[in-house]
Amino acid sequence: MDEKLEEIEKQYNEVPIPKELDFVVENALEQGKKKRKNRAPLWLLGSAAAAMLFTASLNVSPAMAQTLSEIPVVGSIVKVLTWTEYEVKEDTYDADIKVPSIENLENKDLANTLNEKYRSEGKALYDDFISEVDYVKEIGGGHAGIDSGYEIKTVTDQILSIGRYTANTVGSSSTTMHYDTIDKQNEILITLPMLFKDDSYIKTISENIIEQMREQAASDPDKTYWVKGGGHPDEEVIDEFTTIKANQQFYISDKGKLVISFDKYEVAQGYMGIVEFEIPTGVLKNDLVSSKYIH
Amino acid sequence: MKTRNAFQHEEKFVQFIREQKERFYLLAYNYTKNEQDALDVVQDSIQKAMLSLDRLENVEYMKSWFYKIVVRTSIDFLRKHKRLHVTDDDTLQYLTPAQEDVYEDVDLEHALDELPQMYREVVILHYFEDLKLADVANILNIKLSTAKTRLYKALKLLKIQLQDVKGETTHG
Repeated sequence: MDEKLEEIEKQYNEVPIPKELDFVVENALEQGKKKRKNRAPLWLLGSAAAAMLFTASLNVSPAMAQTLSEIPVVGSIVKVLTWTEYEVKEDTYDADIKVPSIENLENKDLANTLNEKYRSEGKALYDDFISEVDYVKEIGGGHAGIDSGYEIKTVTDQILSIGRYTANTVGSSSTTMHYDTIDKQNEILITLPMLFKDDSYIKTISENIIEQMREQAASDPDKTYWVKGGGHPDEEVIDEFTTIKANQQFYISDKGKLVISFDKYEVAQGYMGIVEFEIPTGVLKNDLVSSKYIH
Repeated sequence: MKTRNAFQHEEKFVQFIREQKERFYLLAYNYTKNEQDALDVVQDSIQKAMLSLDRLENVEYMKSWFYKIVVRTSIDFLRKHKRLHVTDDDTLQYLTPAQEDVYEDVDLEHALDELPQMYREVVILHYFEDLKLADVANILNIKLSTAKTRLYKALKLLKIQLQDVKGETTHG
């Protein structure tokens, strides 16, 4: 190589490496691994898991969740209570994990299945956090934080959508929210596939979402998605969003609209956070089994 | 079989990142010119990569695949923070005829920074990161011929700058 180039390369390489790099990299790898695991379609009963977020902080939600404890229903009271709470408060390590529990469902199998899931996932979050703290201590200290809890997204006579969020409060890493939607009258868990006659809903919904992404990107320069025409030059879209998963995360709004959610990084840059799309019912009407839930 | 591949990819990826993290940081830093922003770019790139790791068909492409993500994340970062747009300044600075730069060292020191981004990134990826020109073209989403032209132009620009300095010193 040319002498001058060598000199320039030397200068390029002389930029000091901050000592935080190790931690940032390890943390990102750890979060990445967890997210990959979560992506496996392991949801119990193929359950309705959905994620949503408003770009703002999640600190609002725990308070909101706490105030909501009783939901009156015809004939019975379905309650969502905090079953247990894990708390860690040390100088630079901070965890607050609230585990919800659904009470007073006649259908005990359903209640047990959901509650078991909530409890084991809450425990796993706590265990992961503890091992993360151990790791951080090992490499000489640092920050670690997690905030997890739940909120009631929708309550109507028919529908209960409960969302559980997990926010890693260190760095800009993960924020996810998993949804379960229950038909309170029939006491069954609603999954996305069961709302539709056949698989064609996947295509219908995906196409509508891509359309919405393009519209949003066109009207608001702050919004970008990983689709062609989604605010990035075409040639930079390498992991293009093409389709939702058969059991994509979703919930049903109090107006009876289907809302599809994506985890952070799933369809957009990290700064977009968790994004959701309300699908116009008109688009879905040929695919829907009935207009009982979605209308 | 598929999950197994995915798992092997993950192991290789983790190893690759751990070994090369300083290279990624330097690259990100060259775009962002700021320590915290470069760290953010590295973090975002790793997470983004892990989420799409299963779609990487061949581990042999991992290097250029990941560089592409780092470059894209860096450029996105610059776009979001337009007021800190380094390229514009660089271009401006470059287009402005050089004032009397008396000290040879100063010029050599800034030679790379004064190169507009489109030339700079080709030099960095090809010479400093040892990537084939075809891979560089792929990473930057440009044609191979464009990559060649830019590299040639970059070298020419560097040489001119450096020669000017030399000329001055011999004069003096």
